[in-house]
Amino acid sequence: MKKRVKQTVACAAIVAMSASLVACGNSSSKDESNGKVTLKFSFDQGVGEPTQKIVDEFNKSQDKIQVETVLLPQDANQVHDDFVNKLASEDTSVDVMGLDCIYVSEFASAGWLMDLTDKVETSNMLEGPVAGGTYDGKLVAAPWFTNSSVMFYRKDVLEQLNAEVPTTWEGWMELADKAVGTNGIEYGADFQAAQSEALVTNWVEYIWGNGGDVFDESGNPIVDSENNIEATQIMKDLVDKYAPAGITTYAETESEQVFKEGKCLFIRDWSGFWSSGQDEGSKVSGKIAATKLPTGPKGEESHTCLGGLDLVVNNAISDQKKDAAIEFISYMTSKETQKKMTLISSQPPVIKDVYTDEEILAEIPFYADFYDIIMTGKSRPLSPKYAKVSDAIQRNIHQALTGETDVKTALTALQSGLEELSKEK
Amino acid sequence: MKKKKFNSLERTESRTAWIMMAPALIVLAVVAVYPILRTFWLSFHQMQLTDPGSGYPFIGLKNYIDIFRDSRALESIGFTLKFTVTTVVFELLIGFTAALIMNKAFKGRGIVRAAILIPWAIPTSVSALMWKFIYNDQYGLFNDILYKLGVIDSYKAWLSTADGSFMALVITDIWKTAPYMALLILAGLQMISESLYESAKIDGANAVQRLLFVTLPNVKSTVMVALLFRTLDAFRVFDLVSVMTGGANKTESVSLYAYNNLMKFLDFGYGSAMAVMIFVIVFIISLLYMRAMGDQLSE
Amino acid sequence: MNKKLRKNVKNILFYLFVIVFVGIIVLPFIWQFLTSLKPMSEISAIPAKWIPSKINVQFYFNVFQKHPFAKYLINSLVVATCTTFLSILIGASAAYALGRLRFKGKKFMMMAILSISMFPTIATLSPIYLLLKQLNLLNTYAGLVIPYITFALPLSIWLLTNFFSQLPRGFEEAAAIDGCSRIGTFFRIMLPLIKPAIFSVALIVFINAWNEYIYALTFMTDDMMRTVPVGIAMFPSNYEMPWGDMAAASVIVTVPLIVMVLIFQKKIIAGLTTGGIKE
Repeated sequence: MKKRVKQTVACAAIVAMSASLVACGNSSSKDESNGKVTLKFSFDQGVGEPTQKIVDEFNKSQDKIQVETVLLPQDANQVHDDFVNKLASEDTSVDVMGLDCIYVSEFASAGWLMDLTDKVETSNMLEGPVAGGTYDGKLVAAPWFTNSSVMFYRKDVLEQLNAEVPTTWEGWMELADKAVGTNGIEYGADFQAAQSEALVTNWVEYIWGNGGDVFDESGNPIVDSENNIEATQIMKDLVDKYAPAGITTYAETESEQVFKEGKCLFIRDWSGFWSSGQDEGSKVSGKIAATKLPTGPKGEESHTCLGGLDLVVNNAISDQKKDAAIEFISYMTSKETQKKMTLISSQPPVIKDVYTDEEILAEIPFYADFYDIIMTGKSRPLSPKYAKVSDAIQRNIHQALTGETDVKTALTALQSGLEELSKEK
Repeated sequence: MKKKKFNSLERTESRTAWIMMAPALIVLAVVAVYPILRTFWLSFHQMQLTDPGSGYPFIGLKNYIDIFRDSRALESIGFTLKFTVTTVVFELLIGFTAALIMNKAFKGRGIVRAAILIPWAIPTSVSALMWKFIYNDQYGLFNDILYKLGVIDSYKAWLSTADGSFMALVITDIWKTAPYMALLILAGLQMISESLYESAKIDGANAVQRLLFVTLPNVKSTVMVALLFRTLDAFRVFDLVSVMTGGANKTESVSLYAYNNLMKFLDFGYGSAMAVMIFVIVFIISLLYMRAMGDQLSE
Repeated sequence: MNKKLRKNVKNILFYLFVIVFVGIIVLPFIWQFLTSLKPMSEISAIPAKWIPSKINVQFYFNVFQKHPFAKYLINSLVVATCTTFLSILIGASAAYALGRLRFKGKKFMMMAILSISMFPTIATLSPIYLLLKQLNLLNTYAGLVIPYITFALPLSIWLLTNFFSQLPRGFEEAAAIDGCSRIGTFFRIMLPLIKPAIFSVALIVFINAWNEYIYALTFMTDDMMRTVPVGIAMFPSNYEMPWGDMAAASVIVTVPLIVMVLIFQKKIIAGLTTGGIKE
């Protein structure tokens, strides 16, 4: 009997100790409700600092809404997964999100996004991003800032060779043949071809610039067209003959590193590289110029691939919060805020007028040319199944570029993969 | 009379056992059972999050049948098995050697013991990035060292081929987790009583014989448990592959593919079925280990 | 004389082997360390530059000034320590039962406990999130310690069970004759006996908890509650890839663990000869 008591006591002691330990350090953040509506705004660290400044200004500018920021790592996948985990369980711990534009259709088809039609002013915005924020005829995402790619090249090398800026891939290859070996140039081409979303953004530009596309107007896959085969072959030739050996492992960071070391004639990169490519430690500061992407033999015009973040509202939150969210989004997408954000973050704005603003042009002269480039921009296929489309493109194109399969076989496989996807309900 | 007494003794013992296990069982049940049951439940449903209109119907074993028709799933299982066997074998050899060294008395072994844990102490999120940097074709340390040693005559893009990627992943995983093996085996070595070696010495056994007939049998069960946990982890490899290759060049691990189905394609039904399947494979591996461990644990 | 020479040669070879072995293992860390001290312009130099031309400690300041890194360290320390302590405490008694006591269904229990840690994390992430939310434990230490228990506890139970079962038979009987209860035996005799093993297991659990990423990312959304691995993952932004800051941070993170190992050295390597087991 006595023994049993002892046992029970020992057991209870363990449980109690565990409980007290588990309880150590409960520090939950409390909601201070002094009549204000508190909004949680979640986005990635990539634009953390400038956005925090803007949010602080919003909080000061009025006394009804308090916006708190919830930062996530700068990794599009992790941000996506974090939002999915919360939205799929109808969690309301986040109200407004900065969502990569490629996920808008997916989130909208799952019913997670609030309808913003007629609530957010979009008439003064760039058409491309607005189309990207529209699903099923409704505006479900308000463009926040956009992104588009540019050819950055070494103007010092071109000057020395007395060369014109090429407008076709063929022209760039000819120039590369001359440039390699001069001025420390080792590679004629630099871009992103690691099996990742970056590869998709690169590849669609080759096919768009050669008159091709992924889907036709009624949504049927057309990737094995002559135009696409030719365009993909150009990309493969660049990989084989002009780019660094590891190009099929390069995402943005790796490709930028080689360019900044002064080893490449050009790099295809996002517009933000204009400033980050000439920061401390870069060997090409002051030697960079930008132009639009080249075209293939069958292409008339090049199209840059649009990126960027949209502002979306969690559909599961209360109406009161939704109203506050609209007010916040209207602030974020107003011309003044967009101008401020552009100045402190060098993220391309979505409001057209900002590109022609004198103060902006004085700060970022490159925007004068950039506006025309961004106007030619196209969105990646808008589909609730975009993740699968992108995955199929990544795998098949990467195999073609590494030489595991030839270009034609890869595109045929991609075509049948996409056909199967469109048959699936 | 005697038998009865024994029975009641056994009953007290069994009751004590359950009391002593109770806290652990309660904690595990509270935290882990619901999520696991939910995963099983989802795996029997068609649940594509982007298609809420379907109503997420019950579809029985369809998701599981699909796995066997999905060549990508089967390839990922093949890669993962290859990866698991390769890394675990090397980790065992290296870990065992390291443990034998650390178990010896020599000057500076304290530093060796601390140093050996370093790879493990660097957060995976940092070390995976660090190694990707090391394998870089332009400025990677790996190329630099091999080139200086004369092993290669020009820098190579290790992560751009299937063989190179596999090798890179294996090296990184071994580097990261061999210390774990070493530490566990060391603990096992320390449990061997010094007197066993003494008496073996008196019987005239040489060093090799002592290793084979004293060390190995006594450390066997520890090694098996260490191997079991390493195998379970290696089979579920995810972070490493996702950061270093993203599954390119035929290095998609089964966890990465399950992750893609769950979080990228938002196919919670199929993704959950893959998760359950990983669980089942790992469970079978554990049973095999259990059998190999024999009666040591299960008497 | 000849024998002595042979012994010397053997010693030298042994040390040579140890040095090469340890060298390979710590090389990447040394590289990180050197990187953390390089001036910005030398970090990604091509070809790689080993020795910095001048020592730059700016990155170490950055780590603490740009981020609440001290708070991250404290958070990681608290969470990993609580996890370790709890899983050893709860795990040891269960392991004793599984390793030393006779009862039916032992094998089944071992498998059941193990199987809990076999599920892929991503599959269980969102239900655990919901659970913690309902318990109001998001952004608390407990909210991280509890899920960590799901991998730490099965690990400690299995490892400790193995060590308990290796102890020679007969201890319990001797203790019983001395009038010790089973649980008394456990606390007073068995636990001290496997102390070195406990320290090893504790170290393993601690490092596992210290390194965990995906739970910490999902359940701790408040910047002041983040752990070290997540904190470091927050370093990169659209404007820079701060290799220097990251290298400095990983050096800072590694040092406490090395110090800890050096402190517990004696405990981990106590050996059983002092424990009184001599058959």
